[in-house]
Amino acid sequence: MRISWIKKGLFFVLVLAIVIPVLFPLLWMLASSFKTQVDIVAWPPRLVFTPTLQNYERVFREQNFLKYFINSSIVGISAVAFSLIMGLPAAYSIARFKQKRLSIFILVARLMPGISFLMPWYIIFSRLKLMDSYVALILSHMLITLPIIVWIMSSYFETIPIEMEESAMVDGATRQRAFLSVVLPIAGPGIVTSVTLSFIFSWNNFMFSQVLSMEKTKTLPIAIYNFVSYAEVDWGAVMAAAVAIMAPAIILTMIFQKYVVKGLTMGAVKG
Amino acid sequence: MKSKFMLVILVVLALFSVSAQQKEIRVLLANHPYGDLLKAAIPEYEKATGVKVNVESLQESQLTTKLTTEFATRSSTVDVFMTRPLQEGKMFYKNGWYEPLTGYDFSDYPKNALDVATFGNKAYIVPLVTEWEVLYYRIDLFKKAGLSVPTNFTELEMAAKRLNSSDMAGFASRGKGAAAVTQLSSYVYNYGGTYLDKGKAAFDSKEAIDAIRFYGKMLANYGPSGVTNMSWENIMPLFQAGKVAMWTDASVFYGQIVDPTKSQVPAENVGIANFPAGPKGNTPFIVVSWGMAIAKQSKNKALAMDFIKWATSQGLAKRGMLANITMARNSAWKDAEVRSKINTGLIATQEYAAKYGIPYDRPYMSAVGEARDLIGEVIIESINTAGTSTKLEALAKDKVDAVNGLLEDTGEYGVY
Repeated sequence: MRISWIKKGLFFVLVLAIVIPVLFPLLWMLASSFKTQVDIVAWPPRLVFTPTLQNYERVFREQNFLKYFINSSIVGISAVAFSLIMGLPAAYSIARFKQKRLSIFILVARLMPGISFLMPWYIIFSRLKLMDSYVALILSHMLITLPIIVWIMSSYFETIPIEMEESAMVDGATRQRAFLSVVLPIAGPGIVTSVTLSFIFSWNNFMFSQVLSMEKTKTLPIAIYNFVSYAEVDWGAVMAAAVAIMAPAIILTMIFQKYVVKGLTMGAVKG
Repeated sequence: MKSKFMLVILVVLALFSVSAQQKEIRVLLANHPYGDLLKAAIPEYEKATGVKVNVESLQESQLTTKLTTEFATRSSTVDVFMTRPLQEGKMFYKNGWYEPLTGYDFSDYPKNALDVATFGNKAYIVPLVTEWEVLYYRIDLFKKAGLSVPTNFTELEMAAKRLNSSDMAGFASRGKGAAAVTQLSSYVYNYGGTYLDKGKAAFDSKEAIDAIRFYGKMLANYGPSGVTNMSWENIMPLFQAGKVAMWTDASVFYGQIVDPTKSQVPAENVGIANFPAGPKGNTPFIVVSWGMAIAKQSKNKALAMDFIKWATSQGLAKRGMLANITMARNSAWKDAEVRSKINTGLIATQEYAAKYGIPYDRPYMSAVGEARDLIGEVIIESINTAGTSTKLEALAKDKVDAVNGLLEDTGEYGVY
């Protein structure tokens, strides 16, 4: 009885030791987003303060962050959707036909520093008059989302027993049909994992949007800089905007957390 | 199939030629109070001229990235942009990205402000905003200690010593290497030194080293703890929280430290004074922090010129002054309405700096970022040893060679 108590206590302490360093900055950010500028810079830090909504007001009323939310969503969702359409068949093909070289080629695109793509993209997109368009942003974000989807899904497809497709094909289904009707329906957890991860990466991407977007298509990570002026930082608004930007990513992860872990480990223990 | 494709191209081309007939210009502004002011005023300009102004505002480093990408790929559609003469001016000029501003009347600008706007005998940048180094101090603490405002470095040190306590930093200034370079510059000047002399790095001179040692001693003995990681982002909150008695930095922060919605220190307790004199007199920096320029690649230069004349006009400069922006135009400071509304301390320090100040606060060269990092290492060493490091001369010599190397790389060595 006593030993199990000690064990439990120890477990709790260890959990705290891991969680506190992670959560502390987030809590600090959350608290600061409800503080006035004076309270934010106060030293020693004020733990008790009168909360204010003025920071959120500046974020959503004065700066119209809703617009940037919509921009980020359009770009993220479209990039993920197109990457699924192209990536799922590609991943299936890599898994079933052992196209290792192709998969490494896709990985290289992901490993190359993103900035090396920017100059050529800039030239191409501006010649095509696609600057400040969703098309350019979605295409560029597919560089982030497509490799993640291909890589997670190809190892996921490998875990699906080939016999299931074979029996479908024996019954007269084409390979395409077997892929659509047999493989995809049971690949759900893998798809959820890759979609969640790639969407979050796209949501957080700064570099591509910085160069390729302008006022009309500005995404959230760029818009947060609206509160950083010359020789002046509006910390309260920055914190409030950061909270607002993080919320969807955190909620998404919490909902799909179960699948994400499952999907990530699925490929690892294939026998 | 082919003819269909050609048709599409023709239609697209026709569309673009139509849009080219509507008068339009693209303007890139910085996230800066004057940028905000312009953004709000642009509808007036559009109404008066019928020109559509496509305006974007960006944080300063994003602005530089965007301009550099657009200009370097030769596919820019920018017509007019805000620019930082000291940080990027030389590089932009050498790359041929600025259009010379012939036909602009520069007679209303201080001579030292035009120094950085001119290359050869042509002006390329209209100075917008100036800033100069000042001493911020706490009037209440000085009164309580019976001290008078320091006018030279000896008095500065004495006051810092008196006001320093476990709860209060007697003195603060930027300590974070590269960021400190600009605020150290006035110390170097007042000791008789300089960063660059006739196109060669010169911060290993005895005068410059003395200044760096003094700066290190002051910050190590009376500065806030962790000062070698502090730039203005960190020191201003400390001052606003009432934890700093004296602070030397650029005049641009005055508005924020007397703003009751941002500072815990009541405005009547915040003083502003001339930067203290050194052994070789008092020549603090006064720099053009922001200017405005026309892009060489612009296809609408006449419209751009018209816009820039409006955007830097006397009328808007006055509105800037009334919004607490320290404008470059002389006339803006002489305006009676402005003088009645602006803090007299700020006016006095501006008058002094405009008359005697030096128009550079950093080594003025293309590779200014790298050079600042190198000088920053010398500053950190000095602060870490409270100015006593025996290695300081050797270290400075080392960095001088490195900066000279940078100057040689861009063909600026010995050129002035």
